Parts: sequence; structure tokens; C-alpha cells
Amino acid sequence: MEQLAFYLKENFPFSAYVSVALYEKPSKREGWIKSELAFDVDAKDLPVKPCGCGEGQVCERCLEEARRVVMLLSDVLSSDLGLRDLHFSYSGRGFHLRVLDESVSKLEQNERAQLVSYVTGGVVPTDLAFVLGYSRVFREFCVRTLEHLPEEKLREVFPRLAKKIQEKKAEVLEALRLGRGEEIKGLVGREERLLEFLARLNSGWVDGKVTVDVKRILRLPSTLHSGVSMKCLYIRDIENFSLDQAVPRFVLEGGKG
Amino acid sequence: MFPFREYAAVLDFFSPEAKELVRSSPAFTSLPQEVLDRAVGRLLWKTGSEMVVSFSPEEVRKEVLSFFLMCQALASVSYPYSREVRLAGEKTEEVVRYRLYHLFKGYESPCLEVIRRYLRVGELGELGRIPREDLFRIRNSSLREAGILLPPESVPPQHQPRYFLPWTDLAPLLRVGRVQLTDLYLVEGRAVVTPYQLWDLFSGLMGLKCEEYVASLYERFSERKPPEVLVKVGERISSLLPPPEVELGARFPRGRLRKEFFPPCVKRALAGVGSGGRNYAITVLLTSFLSHARLPPPGRVVTRIRDLPEGFSVMKEEIIPLIFEAAERCHPPLFGDQPQEKANVYYHLGFGMTTDPRPEDSGKSKWYSPPNCRKVSSSAPFLCTPDEWCREIKNPLTYYYKRLRLEGRRDGVPKGDAGGEKEVLPGGVEQA
Repeated sequence: MEQLAFYLKENFPFSAYVSVALYEKPSKREGWIKSELAFDVDAKDLPVKPCGCGEGQVCERCLEEARRVVMLLSDVLSSDLGLRDLHFSYSGRGFHLRVLDESVSKLEQNERAQLVSYVTGGVVPTDLAFVLGYSRVFREFCVRTLEHLPEEKLREVFPRLAKKIQEKKAEVLEALRLGRGEEIKGLVGREERLLEFLARLNSGWVDGKVTVDVKRILRLPSTLHSGVSMKCLYIRDIENFSLDQAVPRFVLEGGKG
Repeated sequence: MFPFREYAAVLDFFSPEAKELVRSSPAFTSLPQEVLDRAVGRLLWKTGSEMVVSFSPEEVRKEVLSFFLMCQALASVSYPYSREVRLAGEKTEEVVRYRLYHLFKGYESPCLEVIRRYLRVGELGELGRIPREDLFRIRNSSLREAGILLPPESVPPQHQPRYFLPWTDLAPLLRVGRVQLTDLYLVEGRAVVTPYQLWDLFSGLMGLKCEEYVASLYERFSERKPPEVLVKVGERISSLLPPPEVELGARFPRGRLRKEFFPPCVKRALAGVGSGGRNYAITVLLTSFLSHARLPPPGRVVTRIRDLPEGFSVMKEEIIPLIFEAAERCHPPLFGDQPQEKANVYYHLGFGMTTDPRPEDSGKSKWYSPPNCRKVSSSAPFLCTPDEWCREIKNPLTYYYKRLRLEGRRDGVPKGDAGGEKEVLPGGVEQA
């Protein structure tokens, strides 16, 4: 660690990253042994934004939404998938959730792709009404997605139904929470298409390509995201994380001056 | 316990009991006709009585031997994950599932003992509280999977939730898409299942192991010719199979080589190599690999390209251009200073030493199979830069078939690659 700190201080790299993979020969990235399971929630790419930010834009509300999504993911990973060794970092523009449990470290791309679908509610379940398990995950993400879904986005897919869905949103959300598919059908009709649409949006809460890539590199916590002048930060308490912790001293001092 | 220890082998063909039975039996070349016929016929079994094995040590031995004979025979005339091999996997799955159904009532404990060698199954009572309504729903989905719609009072016990197992034990089935994580009921890292669902999971695992075993045999046979008896049994099996509903190409497109699934050594050879390695890369590796990847055996031993449908035209119009282009990319270009290597390429394709092959020349020389990885790494170490897929395979062709099977079927990666800061680093590493 000291050597690394010394190297960074001496060389001022533009960015510093750490691999999710463990190799036999790390310098050559050869002899893959295992990989962390990583989830990347990028605030600028959220499928639905609560604040009205456009694509690629980020505000504090987007970041707060990203933090809530990461907390939801961590809940699913521990309660459903039984994973315990979860670590969070603020990446500068979003959050990384890194799972170090040995039981998932050898999983390959296909299994990781299935995990993304599970933890984001990216597939419509065969039975919506299970109290626990995947149905619960699906319902929770659908509620999150539909809550902030603007009417324009609905209109793109459901030109005739969008207005009705918007008007009955509160009832639809309640039916979703309770897993009452028939009730949703009664409210807006064509509930299957609505659920499929929400599932598609749900899968966008996480950048799936990061998760399935067993050789991905992620920004190194404690280094600077030079694109946005924020610190990439290891987070010990995700529930009470505040963005202020990630503002570098030179920015604060600059602000004072 | 089963009446005798070896009976476990009829549920798990890869168990120590099964291996011991094979070790203590005569060689495949001297097996009785009854076993040869059973190896052929087992792919057509339909009824329960055909699948069940009585508690007779001799019957168990015949069953195990016929299974291994079927696998070896298929590997000698087919290729990994071919139609024949998939059918063998599916049939093995069906047979094991039926046997579990048949045995479970009287022999639940020894059946679970066999299952626990692969899946860490526990009794549901040990798991924390699961909502009652969820247990009913698990029961209903088990019934649905079995195609049964009965009133609750007559639900057979195999559809009542009884067990749990760590979902990570199902990784092999998740990898090939035989199980969807979102179809499982997961609590605290465990999947809650009914006996029926447990049979399904275990038999799926056995089907998969069967396919993988044939793939490993294929690699072995690419080093040495399979015995005649295996080839004969293999050809009998292939001739019994119903014609494919869809042309083989639907799964492994005959009309198209998927270069993205080529192993690193072949990709390197395709990109052209330096002097000293050109002959091996182009004439030995690329020629054999491309021809066999593009023209897989159709369930019988094919030693001549002209015996394959459109084999000659495919060779001339698709395979040769790829080989010659790669030769041109070598530095210096291979045929510039070694024009005779063109004839050598045709020689390796089985057309004898010629630069202008005709269909009737096919068979004048041997059509070479791709060398095994061990051979590539010793003869041309500069080509061998293994990636993580290489860990489990021993032949470049198996690499290709395996990736075609696993990645070819994946419906893309979940959405969300809009990250603006991603860039590809050397070696294909991406950052987030």
C-alpha cells in the first residue's frame, strides 16, 4: 500500500483504477482466478430521473436516487441471495457496489447476467404475488420506476393508454406493491405489456455490462475523478452517506476564496 | 440405503460407484451385443419400464456400461454440443428424473445422499420462516411445471415444498440457461424447492455432465483415432435419430463462422504471424480449425470434405479465402517466399499435394483435425495466449463450440452501457 501511495504521489496519474479480477500474473492480466461481483449505478444513466434532468445530466437528486437504488440492491443481495461481504464506493458520478463473497467470485458471465436481471427486477415473474423472493424484488423496482416515470415516456410506448396510466398511477402503484396483477389489468388493461415495459426500464438501473465483465476495472477509492472534480470514496455507511464527504479540499478552499 | 452400494450409479453415472463398475468390466471392444444394443436404444427410450433398472448388480453394470458406450460412440462420430450430444444429454436428464420419481417413495434417503454429492440440500424446517402463502405458491408452480392442475386436497407429496439448497450450487445450470435465477424462490441465499423441482435440478445437472463428458472425449479422440466398435455404435445411434426439425445451422450456423467466438490462438493466426511461426499457424492450425468449424461432422464419421453437403464449394468459396488472406497478412506473406505452402494447405484439407483441387481429389490425403491445445502450446507457444475460456478446454474447436453454445444463446447483456467514461484498455479491459 505504501508503495502504491508513493507511486501515485510521484506520478500524478490522470485516473487510477483497480481491477475486479484476481490474476495469477496481474501485471500481464493472465491466469484469471476469480472476480468480485460488481454493480455500477451511474447517476447520469438512470432510466427514470426524479428531477427532470436530461440524459447524461446529473444533479444531487439523481445522485440521491442512485444511492437509494444501491441500498435496494444491497438489500436484495443479502436477503435473497445470502451475500454478506458487500462494499460501497462513491465513484464520482454514481455508486459502485462490490461483493467479495467467495461463493460468487467464480461465477462467469452468464450467471452474472442472470444476477443483474434478478437484482434489478429485469424480468416479469411468472407469479407476481409471492410475498418474498424475486416477485418482491420485481415489484419494488417497478414501483420505483413507475413512480417517477414521466407521461411522455409512457406515451412513447402506450400512445393511447399513457393518459389513463398517469391518472390511475396511485392505484396502479398500490396494486403493484400488493402484487395484484388482475387489479392492474382492471385499472389500465394490458397489464402484461406494462409490466414488460417496466421490467425493461428496471434493468437500466444498473450498468449490466460492468457486472458481467469479469475483467472490469473500477475507479480506485480515495482517488480523484478528474472529470467532475469529486473524490472516489469508499463508503462505510451508505445509509448516512452525504455528498459533502466526496468534495475535495481544494474545491472547498477554492469556494471560500 | 439401496440394496447394494453400486445402485447409486444408475442415478449418477459419474459417481465413484459407476467408475468402479467401468474399471472392473471388460474393454468396450469385447462387450456383449446386449450392451451395444442398449447403448444405441437408450436414446429412444420412452416408457418408464425402459428407464427403470432393477436391483440386480448385473443390470446395473449393463446400464452403466451402455451409458459410457453411448457417450464414447457419440464422441467418435459427432462434435461437442451437436444435435446427437444434446439429445443424449436430454435423454439422460429424462431418465434420471424418472428414476428419482420411481425410487423416491421407498428410497428417499439414499436418493438424497446421491443428490447431496452435488447439491447441498437441507430440510425446509431448518430454514427461517417462510410466509405460508408463499409455500402454497411454490406448490402451485411445482404443479404447473409438471402440467398438473388438481384441487389442493389431492396434491401429490412431491409437489409440497420440502427442501432448500444454496443457489450458487446451481451455477452450472444457470450458466447454460437451463435454470433462470428469476424462476427460483430465493430466501437467504437458498432456493426453496419441492421434491419434484429437486429431481428436475439434479437430473438437469446429470444431463449437462453427460454433454460435457462427450466434449472431453471428443478432445481425447482428436489425438488418437477412436476404436472401430465405437464408430459403428455411433453411426447406428445417428441413423436412429429423427431428422432435425430445423437445419443444424439454426444452432451452429453452417453458413457463417462466428469469428468473435474463435479461441485466441486462431485469432492470432488469422491476424497473420511472423516468420518462423507462419507454417504452423496457417497450414496446420488455421486450415484444420476453419474447415472443421465450418463443416462439422453430421453424425457419422466423415473423412472427406466432398462427402459433406456442399463441402467442396464451402471449402473453395469460404474456407480457402480466409486461410489465404491470413497467409497474406503474415510478415512476410507466407506464399511470397513459400508458394508450395498453398499445396500444403490443400494437402491438410485432404486433397493431396495440389494447388488446383477437384472434388474427386478429396480423400487423397488425410483431412487433418485441429491439434489439441497442448500441441499448439508446445509447437507454437507464440500463438497460445489463453483467456479464461481456455481453462476448461483442451482443443481449439471445443473452445469455439462451447462459446457458440453459451454466448451464442445469451440475449445480450442487460441494458445500461451508456457510461460515457468507458474506454477499452489493452487486452479488452474496460473501465467504469
